[in-house]
Amino acid sequence: MGELAEYTSKLATELVKKGIETFLVTYHPYLTGITQEPNGVGTVRVSNPVRTHIGVLTWVLTLNQEVERAAANIYYKANKQIDLVDVFDWHFIPAAVTLKNALGIPFIYSVDSLEDHRSHEANSPYNMAIKSIEWLGTYEASKVIAKSEWMRDEIIRIYETPKEKIQVRLPAAISWVEDVLKVYSIAKRSAGGR
Amino acid sequence: MKKPLNVMFLTWEYPPRVIGGISPHVFYLSKSLAKNDVKVHVVTCDFPGAPAHETIDGVEVYRVDSYKNPAPDFATWVYLMNLNMQKEAAAIAGKLDRKVDVFHAHDWLVATAGIGLKHVFRKPLLVTMHSTEIGRRDGIHTSTERMIAETEAWLTYEAWKVICCSNYMMSHVKWAFGLPDDKLVMVPNGVNVRVYDKARQQDLKDFRTTFALPDEKLVLFVGRLVYEKGAHVLINAIPKILEKVNAKFVIVGSGYMKEQLSTIVRSMGLEHKVLFTGFVEEESLIKLQCCADVAVVPSLFEPFGIVALEAMAAKSPVVVSDTGGLSEIVEHDVTGAKVYANNVESMAWGITKVLLDEKYRNNLRENAYKRIQERYDWEKIAQQTKQIYEGVLGEYSKSFWA
Repeated sequence: MGELAEYTSKLATELVKKGIETFLVTYHPYLTGITQEPNGVGTVRVSNPVRTHIGVLTWVLTLNQEVERAAANIYYKANKQIDLVDVFDWHFIPAAVTLKNALGIPFIYSVDSLEDHRSHEANSPYNMAIKSIEWLGTYEASKVIAKSEWMRDEIIRIYETPKEKIQVRLPAAISWVEDVLKVYSIAKRSAGGR
Repeated sequence: MKKPLNVMFLTWEYPPRVIGGISPHVFYLSKSLAKNDVKVHVVTCDFPGAPAHETIDGVEVYRVDSYKNPAPDFATWVYLMNLNMQKEAAAIAGKLDRKVDVFHAHDWLVATAGIGLKHVFRKPLLVTMHSTEIGRRDGIHTSTERMIAETEAWLTYEAWKVICCSNYMMSHVKWAFGLPDDKLVMVPNGVNVRVYDKARQQDLKDFRTTFALPDEKLVLFVGRLVYEKGAHVLINAIPKILEKVNAKFVIVGSGYMKEQLSTIVRSMGLEHKVLFTGFVEEESLIKLQCCADVAVVPSLFEPFGIVALEAMAAKSPVVVSDTGGLSEIVEHDVTGAKVYANNVESMAWGITKVLLDEKYRNNLRENAYKRIQERYDWEKIAQQTKQIYEGVLGEYSKSFWA
């Protein structure tokens, strides 16, 4: 759909190379189930049990329960030893928030883009709903990762997120993976080192 | 000693938030379960002036942010509300000293919250299907309706057991979602007879005059003003009834058909005979039900028919459509009068018969009141529900989730 697929695949691959057990939960309309990808990333693809929708919002909000189901299965299979969830953009923030509240797994909100930029100056109930979910992500996350300083400033401007909560990690930097891992460590520590 | 059960109810309405029949159902069921040594945590939508957390007769009630931004439409609001409900319920369940044993969802309006909680906590999910979209709409006609119907199907698929309030509803749900017989269980709705007994002890003469003149019989309709509740059938029957009986028709409730119904009444020149009250708070509604000379439930689709049960508890004779759960609650000529559904002639006949024949009317009152005490007591319903929880937990204890 956009750049997120490539970004998350690259990040997951690099994390596995560093010896970190990594699972990826994502969507596919029909190729559902668990696979061990060639890059070593345990991948679970889920589809939406509700086939008919009236908009992106209802589609996203119902898909989240399948994401929660898949993530919970990983959590219990791993003897509850999941340290952290990294959620990319707004779509699966509801699942990340539930996993945090129910199971105590902290999460990082990695911002690729914001509704304010995607639908500039649009403040319809539809846009406001997505913005409210993005805000929830910034509020509930242990740390927020932005890909540029400009994006960090935008997150602060739009959602009034404390500056110290946002970490800028440039995907083009040579030390990108180490930089992301540092944020993961900080988030894990601040959540009590589960 | 056996540990008491710990159950979490998910419901979009709980008093003082009253929209339909789910609110009183959950209110009385949770209180009666508490009396039967079941700890119930109700997670519901917030309501102006109602506290975020309170304990009512042993029931823990949590009112959560129901998403107050303008939503694109009602169905999308429901899913947004569920996001908040699930988040809050997860936090509440996570902090309890004793883990939740069972999540119990009431209708599709809390479907996604219930399904998500089931999986993250790995606990059984039960659902009470109070109604279905295909029944409410008399078919599926739009994408929104299909989406809701598919959400209902998903919820019943995920549930360990699906509770229905009548045999009619059980067969309807089985047909609508293709469910196996052993997944379905029937537990009737209940009514709290004591509140009606108490109201009847008062002198209601003055109260009645605010709705009808002393020489007018009082015909009462209570329900949402939506197609499936059939208020239009009653209104169309009024001229025929007035040919034989002097009566006032009191229509309690609101809904999208309000304007349309008012227009019909105006066009028939019957504004002086029909009173639209809108929403009536509970105390007055109970008194009104006790004053009614006949309570009419003209539904076209009715999974249960709690309004008929309330009227019977209030000793008001009932005239109901012979459909759905109403057919099971009312025994014709014994506990009420049944008329053909969506049939104006039949409706007029039933109401007229009850209003003109005092002996018949009094027989219906007494028989119905007795029937209510025998079959629809909340105490018995709570015991049945507790047995279902225990049965599910027995099966669950043998699963790999336990």
